[in-house]
Amino acid sequence: MPVTAPKRKGTQGAVGAAGSTWTEKIVMYGFLAISAVVFLLPFAWLISGAFKTQAQIFAPTPTLIPPDPTLENFKTVLSDASLPRAFFNTTLIAVLHVALTLFLCSLAGMAFAKYRRAPGHGWLFAFVLGTMMIPGAVTMIPIFVILAKVGVLNTYWAMIIPGAANAFGIFWMRQYITANVPDSLHEAARIDGCSEFGVYWRIVVPVIQPALGALGVLVLISVWNNLMWAFIVLRTENMQTMPLLVYLLQGEYQTPYGLIMAAGLVTVAPLIVAFLLFQRAFISGVTSGAVKG
Amino acid sequence: MMSDAAAQSTPAKKPGSTGSLREQMWRYRHFYLFISPFFFLFAVFGLYPLLFSLYLSLVQWDGLTSPKWVGLQNFTTLLRDEQFYRAIWNTILIGVYHFPPMFILAFVFAVILNQQWVKLRAFWRAAVFMPAITPMVVIAFVFFILFSTETGLVNYLYTGALGLLGIEAAGVPWLQNGTWAKITVSILLVWRWTGYNMVIMLAGMQGIPGDMYEAATIDGASRWQQMRYLTIPMMKPTFIFITIMSLIGTVYMFDEVFVLTNGGPGDATTNFGLFLFQQSFQDFRFGYASAAAYSVALVVFVMSLVIFRVGKKGE
Amino acid sequence: MVPTILLVGLLVLAIVLTWLPYVGLAKPPAGKRQVEVWSWTNAADALSGVSEEFEAEHPDLDIYINKNGSNLQTRLLLALSAGSGIPDVSQLQEREAAKYTRTGRLTDLTDWASPYREQFVPAFWDSCVYEGRMYALPWDVGPCAVYYKRWIFEEYGLDPWTIETWDDFVAMGVELKERSGGKVRMLPLSEANLIEMLQILMQQNGGNVFDVQGRIVLDSPQNRQVLALMRQMLDTGINADLTPYSPEWEASYQTDNVACYPNAVWAVAALKQAAGDTAGKWGVFPMPAFEKGGIRTSNLGGSVLIIPRESEVAEEAWSFIEFANCTVEGQIEQFREQGLFPALITAYDHPYFDEKDPFFADQAVNKVFAQDFEKLPTMTRTADWNEAQAYLGRSLTRWAETRQDNGAYLRGVAEALGRKVVREVVPYEELAAQREGTDESGPDDE
Repeated sequence: MPVTAPKRKGTQGAVGAAGSTWTEKIVMYGFLAISAVVFLLPFAWLISGAFKTQAQIFAPTPTLIPPDPTLENFKTVLSDASLPRAFFNTTLIAVLHVALTLFLCSLAGMAFAKYRRAPGHGWLFAFVLGTMMIPGAVTMIPIFVILAKVGVLNTYWAMIIPGAANAFGIFWMRQYITANVPDSLHEAARIDGCSEFGVYWRIVVPVIQPALGALGVLVLISVWNNLMWAFIVLRTENMQTMPLLVYLLQGEYQTPYGLIMAAGLVTVAPLIVAFLLFQRAFISGVTSGAVKG
Repeated sequence: MMSDAAAQSTPAKKPGSTGSLREQMWRYRHFYLFISPFFFLFAVFGLYPLLFSLYLSLVQWDGLTSPKWVGLQNFTTLLRDEQFYRAIWNTILIGVYHFPPMFILAFVFAVILNQQWVKLRAFWRAAVFMPAITPMVVIAFVFFILFSTETGLVNYLYTGALGLLGIEAAGVPWLQNGTWAKITVSILLVWRWTGYNMVIMLAGMQGIPGDMYEAATIDGASRWQQMRYLTIPMMKPTFIFITIMSLIGTVYMFDEVFVLTNGGPGDATTNFGLFLFQQSFQDFRFGYASAAAYSVALVVFVMSLVIFRVGKKGE
Repeated sequence: MVPTILLVGLLVLAIVLTWLPYVGLAKPPAGKRQVEVWSWTNAADALSGVSEEFEAEHPDLDIYINKNGSNLQTRLLLALSAGSGIPDVSQLQEREAAKYTRTGRLTDLTDWASPYREQFVPAFWDSCVYEGRMYALPWDVGPCAVYYKRWIFEEYGLDPWTIETWDDFVAMGVELKERSGGKVRMLPLSEANLIEMLQILMQQNGGNVFDVQGRIVLDSPQNRQVLALMRQMLDTGINADLTPYSPEWEASYQTDNVACYPNAVWAVAALKQAAGDTAGKWGVFPMPAFEKGGIRTSNLGGSVLIIPRESEVAEEAWSFIEFANCTVEGQIEQFREQGLFPALITAYDHPYFDEKDPFFADQAVNKVFAQDFEKLPTMTRTADWNEAQAYLGRSLTRWAETRQDNGAYLRGVAEALGRKVVREVVPYEELAAQREGTDESGPDDE
């Protein structure tokens, strides 16, 4: 293959060059197709498992299409009043956590991008970056103790607030704002009598929407899927989130896999739909976000 | 630069006199205002926990009775705790098993999907990225079914394929045997994180100016040469970022092993994250767990610095 | 103004967020006081059954059974240490009780419970006591026997009732494997999870992890004997590689691949659920002994109930657990419905113990489980039992895979554990001498 390479004509730079040979193309598309199958297979199994009984899931011969599809799992899971509530809880927590995180990160990001002359700017920014190195494992127990002392365990606050100070998000927003919001625009708005917050709200926010979208998706994924923290701070059935509900379906000695698949599907579906709807925007948001070390 | 100074309509004064510092701070009050929420949250959920954790590492505390001061005993016990070393060793092995294939795969996908002429790019990208958005608690159960020794699809295909070749083989004990269980966890990690890292690499690649490739092509550089001397060096910051993130991710990984293997068989897949959870929330040794968390955080920090330095050096 | 709207919006949101956690909480019907109980799987179902009768007698009380999923212990710890969301009653494994009884976080039950002292299995009662005060109430015990598939033994012309010792058991396993051409294995035992078998055999053989002074006595002749037996089971290949309670394990109830299951009495609930068409074809024979004439039972699991100190309805909670556990009727009902074997000795005279169970081909299996149980050696629990179990559980797989020497393995774990929990380790020689001393003074303990 490399032999043919020099003969090719180069085209649009960064996106590489067209005109590979047929063999290359076959190998490449074959590779992509196999990869796609492998990466999507567990999802297929998740869907198929949701329509199987326990015995069918562990049948000696695995089948993708359930030989005798059952809706029992969904009936059981949906008849349990805690599922709609858990779904609602997860949505509420996710929406508020994402909104809060985006607001705080973009506001601080703008501050770090636009007020470079402020005394202490340099070391404050270094400090923010430094906090990225603090592992959650070290702070987990104390945060739990604090929340207990304040009395907000088993509330939405315990899920929404602690992770909202996101240093990575601030860094990302700062990079994006530096690259995409020219100082002149900021200046013009100010001359027009905009307050500093007005500049943020009317000038900066509209411009950085792609980056907000991409960061939002990443934050959404992590908050929607968070099991460990939910396990630690949420106590009662009416406050369960979806991952916690799925995890607790597991009994002390028995695991009802069919139910778990059904509830799991309900957990995964919104994220997949959201991702498929916004994937172009998401990818372009991430790739334009200059995530560079 | 100039516009910033101009915007404040004052010629840059030399900072030094206290009066001017005060003035400056007042002039930039919005800066402090805008970053204050972060610092407030950080003080409550970062700084205070950090100090509290340091205190915890010097006491014995079961969460139920009042803490008992033990000085450095937690640390000395830790240094002689076999389970701790096993957890670290398991973490290293899982890291070594999953990182290279994941990294290479992510890079290959990024290179392919960065070519504009490749058809269905959005579809391939979505397929590879999808695992990154799914909750581990759900997918770990699916993996448990897929990798079941007796009835799992993976062994079914494996023994079936060998059967076609006329070889009769027993199924692989994916979750029953220590080494295989580590490999199963690693497969899960590769599956889960390849897409995520691919997207980050794509971001890095699109940051490389197109005219550099044009220039290289005009100079007669082959595709492989472009890759070797242009793409890879330019991608270094991204690679460093991914390496450090993977290091941290592997050390503190929790959901994956908690649900899939619960650290077993025996303690074969108990990584540091699960070890911490067991020490604190199953054995009620919060002080000891804090000491372990602190020690390892320090090591991870130093390793990150080393990776950063080594990576930068090559430039 | 936008900020005003925003402010009002945020305020409303804050109120809603603060209020919502109380919506949908399991609330007692008007005029009733609620007693919240945390329990797991069939134990929770057993309590639910009893609670209906209790509520009928106490119309002012509402018993809310919260059937927690896995990791109940961790969740209870978190609730206790946070001081919020604490139940009024919780189930604990008997082996873990010592971890909580010494904390002062539980309601002192001494005055209420002491009248029942003589009526409970002593080993379990002792686990509920800390410095002379009682902080937990024994609930169920886990006597062990061997569940077996009658049809398999019939097919191969073997009689499990001829088994008296573990040596007989292994020999029959080898015979069975041979006669079936390697298809049928005697018992499920996976190198990946050996801790349950170790606990069963250790308790039967009078082995211990801690002695009454709190020293570590892991490397003892008794425990070495246990490991030797387990190694024999693995080496002869009479075991099927099944992880306890995995789907494959459950599926094996219906197949011809595994002949019997040494396990505790509470396993019967899951067995009956998963047995399918094989119902009516099962049997139970007593545990083989280590030596001829030795005791033919053991214990695995079993639980106690506690009332956290924070409970505002401690007295009501007590009256409920008293109703459930301290009455023959209450205990027998739970036993009948869910297989929770009574810790209340007076219940053993109940006619239910003579009842024939159609699932076991009309065998009176409860008699088998009750056999020898009063002779069971005590396990000395300490607050560090969890830790000990974890050390053993996490290292046994390696012991099996690397074929580590039994003595070296036990010594290694004892020392590692001793370092971790800061306890003295008693060397093998001393324990061996001790055992010989007792053997000479009384060769027949019975």
